[in-house]
Amino acid sequence: MDFLVFWLSNVPSFAAPFALGVLGMIICERSGVLNLGAEGFVLVGAMSGAGVLISLGDYPLSAIIIAGASASALGLLFGFLVVLLRVNQVIAGLIMVFLAQGLTSLISRNMGWVNKPFSGLGRIDFGFLTDIPFLGPVIFGQDIIVYITILLYILSFYFIYRTNIGLRLRAVGENPDAVDAAGGNVILLRFMAILIGAFFLGVAGGYLTVVVAKIWVDGISGGRGWIIIALVIFARWQLWRSIIGAVLFGCIEALIPRLAAVGVQLPQYFILMLPYVVTILVMIWSNLKGNNKQDTPLALGRPYLREERH
Amino acid sequence: MNKLLTTSLLIIIGLFSITKAAVAEQIIKGDPKPAMIIFSQKNDGGWSQALDEARLKVEADLGISIPVVENVPENAAAVKPAVELFIDRGHNIIIGSAFGYSDAFKELAEKHPDVVFLNPAGTTNADNLMSFYGRTYESQYLCGMAAGAISKSGKLGFVAANPFGLVNWTVNAYAMGAQQMNPDATVTVIFTGAWNDPVKERAATEALTEQGIDVIGQHVDTPTPQIVSEEKDIYSTGHHRDLSEFSAATQCSSVWVWERFLTPEIKKIADGTWESSQWGAFLSISQGGTDIACCGDAVSDTDKSKIMKARDEIMAGKHVFAGPLKDASGTVRVKEGDVLGDGDLWGMDWFVDGVISQ
Repeated sequence: MDFLVFWLSNVPSFAAPFALGVLGMIICERSGVLNLGAEGFVLVGAMSGAGVLISLGDYPLSAIIIAGASASALGLLFGFLVVLLRVNQVIAGLIMVFLAQGLTSLISRNMGWVNKPFSGLGRIDFGFLTDIPFLGPVIFGQDIIVYITILLYILSFYFIYRTNIGLRLRAVGENPDAVDAAGGNVILLRFMAILIGAFFLGVAGGYLTVVVAKIWVDGISGGRGWIIIALVIFARWQLWRSIIGAVLFGCIEALIPRLAAVGVQLPQYFILMLPYVVTILVMIWSNLKGNNKQDTPLALGRPYLREERH
Repeated sequence: MNKLLTTSLLIIIGLFSITKAAVAEQIIKGDPKPAMIIFSQKNDGGWSQALDEARLKVEADLGISIPVVENVPENAAAVKPAVELFIDRGHNIIIGSAFGYSDAFKELAEKHPDVVFLNPAGTTNADNLMSFYGRTYESQYLCGMAAGAISKSGKLGFVAANPFGLVNWTVNAYAMGAQQMNPDATVTVIFTGAWNDPVKERAATEALTEQGIDVIGQHVDTPTPQIVSEEKDIYSTGHHRDLSEFSAATQCSSVWVWERFLTPEIKKIADGTWESSQWGAFLSISQGGTDIACCGDAVSDTDKSKIMKARDEIMAGKHVFAGPLKDASGTVRVKEGDVLGDGDLWGMDWFVDGVISQ
């Protein structure tokens, strides 16, 4: 029972960075822009969040917002490359990763941010609510970003599926010509989608340093950006599925050390491999169901040039 | 550090290979001019920073300047130009920092017979190339004693990177040290599978704390277990450097003291008495590879003197892995009167009784 409480109460803080990142990716890719640079945007966010706390003072919420804004700044470059210059999106995305790795390493070293612990953002105590057995620590013992993430998902669902601009966002990822013909601004829509997407990826990175690790070291994202990309495919670009995927990965990540801590005899590398096995299984499952074609945004990865023949 | 993964295998292979015996004569021409090449950031808080700090101490000891270049990746294409540049500028002692430099250093050593190469955590050796590493099981044994002494529950935790020889021996020694102070002490070890992942290290430390563990040991490259131990109001012990700078919860650290090895080596190179070893140098506390920064306030004076006495015994030649020694399944690993050989150390794939692992 204790084990279950410890495990489940830790799931949200592992799931939150995945959920935030996938949300950003879905917004970006729904507009038809393939973003393989997730790892880079997460890194930039993670470093900026830590940097604010170390250099500017103990303002964890501002740090998270600045983390998002910094990733958006990198998004400006990405958008410039893929939307305006119509550079190959695969290459441009990968470049973002390597650029961010070098850039964060350089900046953090010159600013002296490496290996500097900070207090970061803690969990909220709802008083008697948090003291409720079982449900208390699981539901009322999380940090504020977890609750904000849930709210963001509700808002994004409304935005993407219930508003006119959300409709245009989806349309521009399916058929940019039609949006253009209908008077929509394809360039602007895609640019905004990239910036908002990068913002959420940066927030996911900021969460990793400000809330989880409370320290910055080079490459702290540890491949979580790549997991986010896998989760997008896992979720088939659907918000509700991405929540399931993020929680599933959160469950596994929170479970791994706890199994080890109680001395369960399982081969280490098998356990560490589990999240990826699950990803493959789910992708196979969703493929067998045969609903791939209608899920993937049709114009994904294709630069838009007005009046170009396809 | 994760490049050390195959160190154990290569060392064993090295034990069986035959190389030409080194000849004692001055290899370098003129005064020693060392330079250092670091594979990661020199202020990484761990392995590389310990080397860089040793560099500064050697500079002060010998009154020479030792330039350093950092972030040189562990592939020959990156290592060679950096080393060649130093050699072009007249440097005749090149100090590396990584397992991954082993092969490039071997080639460079052949090409430049009048330059001496020293590479910590390396696996290659030649007349003018020597790899070196510390017997960290000695220092971790002593930190294990501190941990065993201050633990109220007798349940210790350990956050480690990957399970292979040089990590497993720290875990085993830690448990054996703890059992010197508390025969019932157990060490639950979590391998994160990464040297540098504070997110996983935090999760591991928190999960161990939930299970009632009140002292955390570690062999990873970040001070995350230290930071978490302070948050959770428990104690911890560190690796690489004196991690009490990150948290007062740190009661003992296994630290690198490379300057105690490098300074005399450079002097020997200068006066022509230096000799390489075909196995590399595997340094005990008495030879200056590793040592402890001990102890914090929580360790009583009696316990502290016990730890220091054990340190003296180790420096006088006592082997931590002396027989009779059984592993957790009851198999005899070291017979009465024997000590564990270096090859068996590098290949250690078993845990002593009291270690709880995956």
